[in-house]
Amino acid sequence: MHNLITALFEIMSFASIVVLVVLGLGIIASMMGIFNFAQGEFVLLGAYVTYAVHNAGLPVWLGMFAAPFAVGALGFVLERLIVRRFYGAPIVAMLGTYALGLIIREIVRGLIGGLYLSVPEPIGGSLSVGDMHFSSWRLVIILITALVMAASYLLLARTAFGLRIRASLENPALARASGISTNAIYGATFAFGAALAGLAGALIVPVFSLFADLGLRFLIQGFVAVMVGGVGSFAGPVAGAGIIGTLSAALPWVIAPVVADVLVFVIAIVFIKLRPQGLVSGRGV
Amino acid sequence: MTETTPTALRLADRKSRTRRWPLLPVMELAVLAIGALLPLVLQDYLTVYATRVLILCLFALSFDLVWGYAGIMSFGQAVFFGSAGYGVALLARDLGLTSMLIVLPAGLLIGFTFALLLGGFLLLGRHPSSVIFVSLGTLTGSYAFDRLARGWYYLGGQNGIPSIPAMSIGSYEWDEGPGFYYLALGILLVVYIICRFLVRSQFGLALAGLRENEQRIAFFGYRAQRLKAIIFSFAGAIAGLAGSLYAFHEGFVWPNMLGVVMSTQVVLYVLFGGPGTLIGAVIGTVVIEAVSFWLSNSYQDIWPIILGVLLLLVILFRPAGLVSLVLSERERVGEFGRPPGDRHGPA
Amino acid sequence: MFSDHHQQSRRRFLANFAFASTALATGVGSWVVRPDWANAAADPIKVGVATDLTGPIGYAGNADANVAKMVIKEINDAGGILGRPLELYIEDTASNESVAVGNVRKLIQRDKVDLVLGGITSSMRNAIKDVIVARGKTLYIYPQLYEGKECTPNLFCTGPTPAQQCDEFIPWLIKNGGKKFALPSANYVWPHTLNVYARKVIEANGGEVIFEEYYPLDQIDFSSTVNRIISNKVDVVFNTVIPPGVGPFFKQLYEAGFLKNGGRLACVYYDENTLAINQPAEIEGLASCLDYFKALAPEDPVSAKIQAAYDKSFPGTFLFAAGSAATGTYRGLKLWEAAVKEAGKVERDAVAAALDHAKIAEGPGGPAEMVPGTRHCKMKMYTAVAKGGNYEIVARSAGLVDPKEC
Repeated sequence: MHNLITALFEIMSFASIVVLVVLGLGIIASMMGIFNFAQGEFVLLGAYVTYAVHNAGLPVWLGMFAAPFAVGALGFVLERLIVRRFYGAPIVAMLGTYALGLIIREIVRGLIGGLYLSVPEPIGGSLSVGDMHFSSWRLVIILITALVMAASYLLLARTAFGLRIRASLENPALARASGISTNAIYGATFAFGAALAGLAGALIVPVFSLFADLGLRFLIQGFVAVMVGGVGSFAGPVAGAGIIGTLSAALPWVIAPVVADVLVFVIAIVFIKLRPQGLVSGRGV
Repeated sequence: MTETTPTALRLADRKSRTRRWPLLPVMELAVLAIGALLPLVLQDYLTVYATRVLILCLFALSFDLVWGYAGIMSFGQAVFFGSAGYGVALLARDLGLTSMLIVLPAGLLIGFTFALLLGGFLLLGRHPSSVIFVSLGTLTGSYAFDRLARGWYYLGGQNGIPSIPAMSIGSYEWDEGPGFYYLALGILLVVYIICRFLVRSQFGLALAGLRENEQRIAFFGYRAQRLKAIIFSFAGAIAGLAGSLYAFHEGFVWPNMLGVVMSTQVVLYVLFGGPGTLIGAVIGTVVIEAVSFWLSNSYQDIWPIILGVLLLLVILFRPAGLVSLVLSERERVGEFGRPPGDRHGPA
Repeated sequence: MFSDHHQQSRRRFLANFAFASTALATGVGSWVVRPDWANAAADPIKVGVATDLTGPIGYAGNADANVAKMVIKEINDAGGILGRPLELYIEDTASNESVAVGNVRKLIQRDKVDLVLGGITSSMRNAIKDVIVARGKTLYIYPQLYEGKECTPNLFCTGPTPAQQCDEFIPWLIKNGGKKFALPSANYVWPHTLNVYARKVIEANGGEVIFEEYYPLDQIDFSSTVNRIISNKVDVVFNTVIPPGVGPFFKQLYEAGFLKNGGRLACVYYDENTLAINQPAEIEGLASCLDYFKALAPEDPVSAKIQAAYDKSFPGTFLFAAGSAATGTYRGLKLWEAAVKEAGKVERDAVAAALDHAKIAEGPGGPAEMVPGTRHCKMKMYTAVAKGGNYEIVARSAGLVDPKEC
């Protein structure tokens, strides 16, 4: 019984990390139809900002608070300058964002000297419930992810701004005809997706330590998650991320870790082949 | 107004028609000449580096075939490159086979088989697969193969397989240096010529149509998915050949040969040089590797950044790559059959 | 738009040029150290060092490069070897075997060095040894602790072997930890081979191996492993997971209460450099067995002198530590110096013959001597325990310990 609860907790915490990373990717893919190869690097930037703030002597949580804003702002700038030329051309978008990601990754590599750096977590230690111990920080990650998802859902479903976003998502031409500036919406969406990635990076850097290839790790998992979940909605990528995260965390409990690693991807690709539209098809929330 | 315009057009026609020298073959011959003479000017260790670049050119050719000519964005060419490399390394390690007559065909076969399997799975089926699915599918395949090789101890795990003995033919061993260089150059030349004929043939014409507008080709009655699978397998074979050469030249194979970084590297080479021209793949590889080598001594940190920036610029402003600076659009796309002759009107 | 983008690139270029300059100044990339008194008459002797200056093993590689610079400078200040100055060529193997092979080729074919010292992980050694010893026909000294069984001619190992690290260490662990062992490992050759040896010693001393598992090098989530350790009530975790996984692994173990319940961590490559990866509480009581610890300074004046010289020349984050091949680098260079002096020339075969039985009286941790015919080195071994973020020595070997290899 204890095993099960601990296992569930660990799986949930890993799955929520994947969800945070994928949420931004999914929103951008659903909204603008492009796969942002630089999403992993936004995660890296979030981690880097946190590290930089910590290195400057300021408290870590401040860095974690600043990271999404910093990365979101950068995302907004990049979207205006570069990414917006790629809409409607998915392949060019992948290559272009890949080049962007390469630039960002190598800059960070230059800044941290190619080394692996550690950042302490703001809330360390563990919570003990009877015999079981739960990492406090991982609990925080689960809570924050749940909050972010709830907030995003409320934003999309309950606010006027969210209404405009949904309109652009479901029928861009009609939205434009109705007077909604889809360009501004796209800019805001890209910035939001980047900010989410930045937040994910900031939250996971105490767990995973900072290194230049941090982004690449999540990129593939992210894409597979989005495809499994289905492009075109909000719930799709979240569902996909949940599944991929759960599988990745749960399989090593039953089979050898090296096999589990590969099996997740094989299962995902076969699933997509059989059901190309993913789990949640259709546009909208 | 109407009087002068047709005359002006006719003059323009005549001008464009008198400049008959097609630049593409000139470029190809120039590159070949430089390649043939290079070992005579370079020091030994630079020749070794140049050999490696030649093998990578072969690899880049395979990617140009699938993307430049068939429009399949494959982010997984390294799967075939690396699998063949591992395959021949295992042959050398476990069975002691190093003869060129065995390992090179083995590389071709391994690359072909894996490409057939992966390509068949991704491309064929009741519904045509979307471009996104194929590219992400190949990307995932590359990643999965990398993880598999990394985890499988028989393949050496993280270490890979080191100390591969030199490739031999009879009793002669191909050591690194001018010997291997000319071997690689020869193989590259033969494969290049084969590809050249292929893309100018009827099959090549269908491929060009596929690249431009897949639906229309399908309506003409061509089995678009099958064409794609065929070219994908063929390209996989070439990648496999490159992989086996690489394994013997470098003397070791390791999981990164199968992975995403290697796959995207070849995409960069071809993108930079110019997709769809074969020579573009070669030029792109040579330029990127040469500059990378030259800069790696002093500007190791910023070279990847510069590379990324250059790439971004190419994607944004010159998606046709470096060769488009020299070749005209018409030459780049290629000619099939006879030129239009002496018709009036715009060329 | 176009000029905007150009501005951005130019700005980035300039910014990174600044980085590149500082990087050059701090020694990233290949570079050469020449002595001040190098004159045209005397041919320099060229020493090549190929080590991981970047990547996950960068914390160790930089220390080795520093040690090499220090030792070469010392030798040059004393007049060089055979009256000839030494030139040091450093190349970055970047924790990346394919890059490493290319860069080591430069050392061999372009710089034509007389000796290559380097490689830290066994996979790196395996990748570059062919280029150096077989194709390059050059002497190769490998300075890091490893799994043994490396009997290639002209390849000399100056780091501890499993026999040196386990024979006295594991009995100590059983006495001071418990009988139930877990062997979580990184999936490459060093852990595989070391575990075979360790298992033998564990079982011969009445211990029991509960499980032995291998993980991909970049695995960072160890929840299932931690759970297995806790639920099986493992006493000693004999860890061979390496960075980047080891930090998260120890953190997750600590959070699950392993140390609180009396468990002991053991890791034979853990030194002062890796201490910094985790918070002190997470590795309290961790035991390691190496040829040198900084805590030796009060009891060994030679070690204290070497440590002080290093700290003075290279203050900063890259520490002189035994698990990072720094002591092996020092030992290797000094042994090679002695061999060249004995041989009277720099030709590989002559030096290899002399190096085969070379001895040094002064080294970090104590004297060292090569065991003839084996190309491995006898040295003193120490067991130390991490307390509050620093090491405390708890056991010392009686004399020089035999590597028992080849």
